Amino acid sequence: MSEAIVEMRKITKLYRGVPAVKAVDFDLRKGEIHALLGENGAGKSTLTKVLAGVIEATDGTMSWHGKDVSFKTPFEALEQGIAMVFQETSLVPSMTVAQNLYLGSEKFLNRLRGIYISAQQFLQSLNFPVDPTAIVSTLGAAKRQMVEIARAVHHNAEVIIFDEPTASLTPEEKRHFFALMHRLKSRGVSIVFISHALEEALAHADRITVLRDGELVVTGDTKEFDREKIVRAMVGRTLSGEIYNKKRSAAEIRKPGARVLSVQDISMGAVVRNNSFSIYEGQITGVFGLIGSGRTETFKVLSGIYKRDFSRGGDIELHGKPVRYYVPREAVRDGIIYVTEDRKTEGFFETMSIAENLYSAVLAAGLEQRPYISLREMREFARQWTGRLNVKAINDNARVVELSGGNQQKVVIGKGLIQKPKIVIFDEPTRGVDVGAIAEIHQLINRLADEGLAVIVVSSYLPEIMNLSDRILVCRQGRIVEEFAPDEATEEKIMYAAVH
Amino acid sequence: MIFDPILDIFRGKAITIPPMDGALKPNTMLDDAPAALEIEAPDNLVSDGRRLLFSTGNRVLALQPGGTPEEIMPLDAAVTALAVSAAGDLAVALDNGKLGILPREGNPRELPAVSGLTCPTALAFDAAGALYVAQGSAKHRASDWTVDLMQKNAEGSVWRIDLAGSGGATCLTQGLGFPNGLLVLKEGHGLIVAESWRHRLIGIPGHGARAPEPVLSKLPGYPARLTPAADGGTWLALFAPRNRLIEFTLLEDVYREQMMREVPREYWIAPALASGTSFLEPLQCGGVKTMGVHKPWSPSRSYGLVVKLDASLRPVASFHSRANGRRHGTTSVTELGGRIYVAARGGNAILALDAEATR
Repeated sequence: MSEAIVEMRKITKLYRGVPAVKAVDFDLRKGEIHALLGENGAGKSTLTKVLAGVIEATDGTMSWHGKDVSFKTPFEALEQGIAMVFQETSLVPSMTVAQNLYLGSEKFLNRLRGIYISAQQFLQSLNFPVDPTAIVSTLGAAKRQMVEIARAVHHNAEVIIFDEPTASLTPEEKRHFFALMHRLKSRGVSIVFISHALEEALAHADRITVLRDGELVVTGDTKEFDREKIVRAMVGRTLSGEIYNKKRSAAEIRKPGARVLSVQDISMGAVVRNNSFSIYEGQITGVFGLIGSGRTETFKVLSGIYKRDFSRGGDIELHGKPVRYYVPREAVRDGIIYVTEDRKTEGFFETMSIAENLYSAVLAAGLEQRPYISLREMREFARQWTGRLNVKAINDNARVVELSGGNQQKVVIGKGLIQKPKIVIFDEPTRGVDVGAIAEIHQLINRLADEGLAVIVVSSYLPEIMNLSDRILVCRQGRIVEEFAPDEATEEKIMYAAVH
Repeated sequence: MIFDPILDIFRGKAITIPPMDGALKPNTMLDDAPAALEIEAPDNLVSDGRRLLFSTGNRVLALQPGGTPEEIMPLDAAVTALAVSAAGDLAVALDNGKLGILPREGNPRELPAVSGLTCPTALAFDAAGALYVAQGSAKHRASDWTVDLMQKNAEGSVWRIDLAGSGGATCLTQGLGFPNGLLVLKEGHGLIVAESWRHRLIGIPGHGARAPEPVLSKLPGYPARLTPAADGGTWLALFAPRNRLIEFTLLEDVYREQMMREVPREYWIAPALASGTSFLEPLQCGGVKTMGVHKPWSPSRSYGLVVKLDASLRPVASFHSRANGRRHGTTSVTELGGRIYVAARGGNAILALDAEATR
């Protein structure tokens, strides 16, 4: 095998002192497909973002063709020949496909018709059925992914990093994608390929690297791996902190109360497909699934954020009565709240204070009957809730954006709890949260279940699911495929159900 | 939204089956359980406190735990229901509509025919000695239950026969979808009825003051007999599963009528007590078998399911024989001597589960 063109040595990246990757060594050889595997939060994206110049490493060195380099921007990396195709596409939504393809490499004078013709030829050469004159915002996820891939190929990159490229592709599109990947490889392009689909890695990669909790676990030729070995490497953590090492006795596992929610065959496009399950009060139902498994979308349908299929979209029954929510407000009024996984976009108003954010939940739930707001009462109200949730801030007038991730998350959770819920859906409740806050949030979640609420914890972090859940559901390809009792569940079993 | 019921007419309604999860999470406990007795089509398990009584075809048999079955009496038609009173009297219902009593001591006697009571499917005594009878259908015999389901009838009723007093019969409620199990509540609180075709249990108040109300709805199968459990809960046997193909067939009137006219009954797309015995049966390809292996989660016409309900009739545990299992058609269940006995009519066995292991 040819020698390494990229070598990363002891790469460490800290976020607010919390390591996302810790002293990871990684190398990429010319013309190889290198699969990078690991659970969500294992550090795969962080490592590749360092390579692509999106973020700077806190520590460690990187060499490119034997020379030490440190990319400050993605443009610097791209100039050298390293391109990254992001999981969330970075296209300009208001521009056409062709304009996006040539963005950054425009000539002094551009003829739109010429750009369209050459874009059409280029897309056809890749076998991508995308109209170059289409506005990107009108394209579906798969086609946007294709444009993103085409843009990386168009820059004649020597290294292309694909972050979960197949999550939104159909089987037919995946076949095209892998054919393209092998064509690029035959041209000498090196490919880093992040995926949750183990079969894809085993079938297409030359080498596999597995990361866990930000650390390198193993690197080797694909022929040295099988599915079981990869799963073991992905989940076989030695220590994930004191929080996750508690063993619960059978008596600590809560018995189910009454069935509050019955979901029968709900469907939403190709993302949620005939999904059926029940939720019981007085216990925590943990839902595990990898990215693209439809777990978040399922619970967004339940809480009125997304709409299930208009025709034959299935049934949702709350306390035995059929419900269909068109906006989240209707679900909130029925006592269903959804604590988002993406707090920065959906969780709070970042320019508003903690008090204003908390009080906005009161207004949204229709709990304020008066036609005016008393600022004094609002501050008092905020003081009570920040005390109850132990939000650490200078005062209640501090803007939420200034808080740490953990305290931001507490505000988001507080906004939900203010609305007097009966069913609380936590989606990735501790993502981007420091260890201290994780323990507090877990305590809060347990307290809610002890108080008799139906609590749902959606997480892609297995120890969290194992630690909190009284009942574990595993989501794959848009539906719940397996249910485990906590005493029978192991990380291997859950992961196997999630990927098999 | 208030317009949803109207919109549903245009957008169509998905065929939905309640999921088997939570307390109904599938397992293989019925298939793993030892058989107390292997016998053809056992049914109507009851206990007189010392021994198990059950029926098979036209015969009623008694089984001492660990012993061999002995015949109590042969009858002139298939037995459809049994019940034992507090005094030890055995009530027997037959497929021809006859009801009889075999007293603890004395000669058997046939009860006078009750006008309109022709299809007894379940029996139960109350503490005062009155006999409650569930009538599955006003048109068909109990053995013709498949026809009754496919015709979508709801002409079942529940009767009370005052054995201790005048002997008169009173209809307590009617218009039920094949009542198939009865449980008399203590202290005159009424009775619970398993309504098979509506997949639910309903409660009939003790003094007839209120109309029957559902107490447990949306079961994933067709409920059959109900039996009190030793710990104050209730055992519920479900004799067949619901599946989308059957639910779809029940929606398609023209197709269903043609199927009933032209196809032999054992090959109908309908629930069954046992399946997989003939290549002519429906539901054998597609997702049922993969590379020769029968998938346990595949749709099936038959299934074995026993559910433990707590004192408030909420499911707390369940025992299954899944699509790839053999102990299907679980019609009745009873407790005796620390063991739970299940009649798997489709599996031709009486199963014995350790009561402790089922908690």
